[in-house]
Amino acid sequence: MTTAVGDALGASAPPEAERRRRRRPVLPYLLLTPAVVILAAMLGYPLYRLGVLSLQDFGLPQVFGQPAEWVGLDNYATILRDGYFWTVLWRTVLFCLVNVALTMVIGFAVALLLNQLGWKMRLLVSTSLILAWAMPALTATIVWQWIFDTQYGLANWALGRQGESWLADPLSFLGVATIIVVWMGVPFVALTLFAGLTQVSSEILEAAEVDGASSWQRLRDIVVPMLKPLLLILTSLSVLWDFRVFTQIYVLQRAGGISRDTNLLGVYAYRISIGGSEFDIGAAVAIVMVAITILLTIAYLREMARQEDL
Amino acid sequence: MRISGRRQSRRNRVVVTLLGWLVVVIMTFPVYWMVVTSFRRGVDVQSPVPQFLPDPATLNNYRKVFERDFFWTALRNSLTVTLLVVGLALAIAFLAAVSVSRFHFRGRRAFIIMILLVQMIPAEALIISLFGVLDGWRLINTIIGLSLTYLVFVLPFTIWTLRGFVAGVPKELEEAAQVDGSSRLRAFLTITLPLVAPGLVATGIFAFIQAWNEFIFALVIMNRPERQTLPVWLQAFNEGARGTDWAGVMAGSTVMAIPVVIFFVLIQHRVTSGLTAGAVKG
Amino acid sequence: MRRMRVLAILIAFTIVAAACGDDDGGSTADDTSTETSAGTATSGEASGTDEEASSGGGGSIRLWLNGTDTPDDVVEFAIAEFNEVHPDVEVVFERQQWTGLVERLTTALSSSDTPDVVELGNTQAQAFEAAGALEDLTAFREDLGGDDLLQSLLEAGTYEDQYYGVPYYAGARVVIYRTDLFAESGLEVPTTIEEMVVAAETLMADNAGVPNFSGFYLPGRNWHAALSFLWEEGGDIATNADGQWTGQLSSPESIAGLELFKDIFTRANSAPADSDDAADYIAFCNGEVGMMPAPGWKPGQIVNPDDGCPEMEGNIGVFALPGSDPGTTAPVFLGGSVIGVANNSENKELAVDLVEIMIGTEYQSQMAETGLLPARTSLLADVGGTDAAVAQAQAATNSRFVPSSENWAAVEAAFVLQDMLTSIAQGDDLSGAAAAADAAIEDILNG
Repeated sequence: MTTAVGDALGASAPPEAERRRRRRPVLPYLLLTPAVVILAAMLGYPLYRLGVLSLQDFGLPQVFGQPAEWVGLDNYATILRDGYFWTVLWRTVLFCLVNVALTMVIGFAVALLLNQLGWKMRLLVSTSLILAWAMPALTATIVWQWIFDTQYGLANWALGRQGESWLADPLSFLGVATIIVVWMGVPFVALTLFAGLTQVSSEILEAAEVDGASSWQRLRDIVVPMLKPLLLILTSLSVLWDFRVFTQIYVLQRAGGISRDTNLLGVYAYRISIGGSEFDIGAAVAIVMVAITILLTIAYLREMARQEDL
Repeated sequence: MRISGRRQSRRNRVVVTLLGWLVVVIMTFPVYWMVVTSFRRGVDVQSPVPQFLPDPATLNNYRKVFERDFFWTALRNSLTVTLLVVGLALAIAFLAAVSVSRFHFRGRRAFIIMILLVQMIPAEALIISLFGVLDGWRLINTIIGLSLTYLVFVLPFTIWTLRGFVAGVPKELEEAAQVDGSSRLRAFLTITLPLVAPGLVATGIFAFIQAWNEFIFALVIMNRPERQTLPVWLQAFNEGARGTDWAGVMAGSTVMAIPVVIFFVLIQHRVTSGLTAGAVKG
Repeated sequence: MRRMRVLAILIAFTIVAAACGDDDGGSTADDTSTETSAGTATSGEASGTDEEASSGGGGSIRLWLNGTDTPDDVVEFAIAEFNEVHPDVEVVFERQQWTGLVERLTTALSSSDTPDVVELGNTQAQAFEAAGALEDLTAFREDLGGDDLLQSLLEAGTYEDQYYGVPYYAGARVVIYRTDLFAESGLEVPTTIEEMVVAAETLMADNAGVPNFSGFYLPGRNWHAALSFLWEEGGDIATNADGQWTGQLSSPESIAGLELFKDIFTRANSAPADSDDAADYIAFCNGEVGMMPAPGWKPGQIVNPDDGCPEMEGNIGVFALPGSDPGTTAPVFLGGSVIGVANNSENKELAVDLVEIMIGTEYQSQMAETGLLPARTSLLADVGGTDAAVAQAQAATNSRFVPSSENWAAVEAAFVLQDMLTSIAQGDDLSGAAAAADAAIEDILNG
């Protein structure tokens, strides 16, 4: 293993660096220790339990001491054989992809906008982003739901449509949910990307401008590549979050629509596990969700494994 | 450093400003609605013709918020837990992000993958066993217990994101400091840390909001009234009127949103100084 | 670095403030804190460890009651009574919320620091009883109500013939109506369901100018109301034979009830097909309602000076949902709670003593005075006062409950009935929707 110091100094490493190189570096492990300790201590047992639960028959009686039978892969079979599960799954994947795309594109656009603005407008826009971000998910969903309310909603009033139900049709329901999720997700992406933009060196950009590159070219050839690590990280995070989206769907379902037609995985898992106290199925669904999420981000994972830098 | 060049055309500036206003309106409209509703009477919350200003307006909802039992207790609990989580998360995550970005060591890749995997697990699936872990350590109904729980959910994401920011700081800067005699660690703290300030701000705010608004774990781990956090308190407040007290919920939510905004304003000012430091160096 | 230091100082300060500070529970003069008549406030420390009530001895017991139905002074009465017998035992009263109660009970009752006496909703109780979370109280049956208990609550509190949940209080559904609109349309309080439907349609016609008006406000998801129609026609949700559940929503009687529901929804109602009754008082205050099915406490919410329309008070009337024959009432859904003792409790005898007080005549009478239906049938006749209370008591004599299964909570969580009703209300094939719901219910209840 070479240390970064060794890398930087290159071939002409003085003897001291050689010595340092041969000793196992302690610093990286030291720096990592607090994180590892906390995560291992808190998550070690629960993750193990999660795996175990998914292979047992475990409900409320077992929480209170009744022995749990081993049922092998029965729980997984129950889930995967259920046609409805696959319906919910595809629905969730589509929803996730649409939301991630919208959030990233709009978020990036807003970040660029922030970059172009004078400081006064910038403060105003970033404050508005913070206000939106600071609103609790539950409250935001309630307010958006009011806007789209069948009888009293602003949307109907503004569009002049009396009594149009936005939640009755599943597609429309998910459309409203998308608006909410994207609205809630854009601030973080925009502000983080803007923070990243500040790290892009202005010298390189000015040099490019002098060389005659247009704004668009500068964006595409300089900014995006430099922001690539951040963009990839944010996209992968968005995928993770939007795949598991729960609160918005749950609250909207309480307000309207037919839940069977609008269930996404997060809500579905919750309904089965906590709602029915079927912790075994809940654990199996969680693990299945992790597996699927891995599949969704596999491209990124592979790239990351290949390029040690990421 | 504007991408569109040093001199913006007038037309460009107008377009940009208009777009800025568009973003402001879209982002703040629900917030505005929440605040307006908080001044309405419960029965006026929804009406066939939307009213853009509360009429009649009432301070009653806020009175209910501040007078209601345990509000100040919940506020204190929330503040304590949240600040603890943010402080610890940023510190621990920064160190971990540096470790993972600047060094190659055995287990590095495993750690990164584990961090990503942990974020894929739906938190709700872990409630029962996490509760069991905390119960075993007698940390139920304690600030430490809840803070540790939140740390677990905030750390992976924070490390993951800060990685990107640390990667954006050129290694040469740290090495230059080392050549000047400082230790590796010191170089990280004095050179890298200030340069990832914007990233710390973004992730710090995120951690703050996560901890501040989290409900289900706070509900389950803090089951004594004197230990509850604001989101749990708000929900009880919401239920209190037997039906749903929408106006009260809005008032409570507005009050809850204020510390977040304050936090941002405090930090925002620091970001600007971090920015100028970066710009000078180029 | 400075940033970190500022943050660190902020954190340290907050921790110190939290540790040194006193809690509201001790400082304000309000009632819902954890004061007891015998001892000092228990919520003093915020320092992090939880010492009292954790292990045995005559130290203290924890009482969990949910929502706002039990007033503070009634609780204090019980605590005072308890302390007369056990002067050195502290009763720590902690008010819980209904939201997330199942999660809280699941974790707390199985933890090392369990509450001793808990209140459970009647639809949640079976699951916990079946799981062994509650102490078996069959031996104390005589002292804990004996035969003087509301039947359907008793069903909720019994599992496999063992007595776990002591009936606590109940609330029945009634019909609220606008006395002035009735007078304008020349209507009398209906004595049969038929009359009620006719009245609803008359109101619709006479108030056609009011936007969103409903003669009988019936949002699609109001399954409690729909169940009354179902039961009145002789149908049911599901029946149990030898441990196997069969869905009954497709039976001819049930279908008749569902058709009645659909009829009223389409002809006499303007509420949406997919909303529930959460906003019904808003609609009432907006003048959009002629009649509406509601729990007994609804008039109180409507005339609430803060959030309601107190000016409507003179125009509110209440009657029990009538049956098919004059002078009868239709079966209504009985909501309510039971009280149990935690199986893991280390103070079981003390807990049982407290429960005995709460099911005692004195305590129950006080509950009745607040407009709730007491769990003791002998006290039902005494419920007087408002029209709502009288109507409730009348309705309660013909009350029904959901299938007594430990898996029922999952049916509710899966929105099976709500989805079915919304589907029907929207005009989808009625028998198809009922059959689908039957299949789902059988699937869940049979495990």
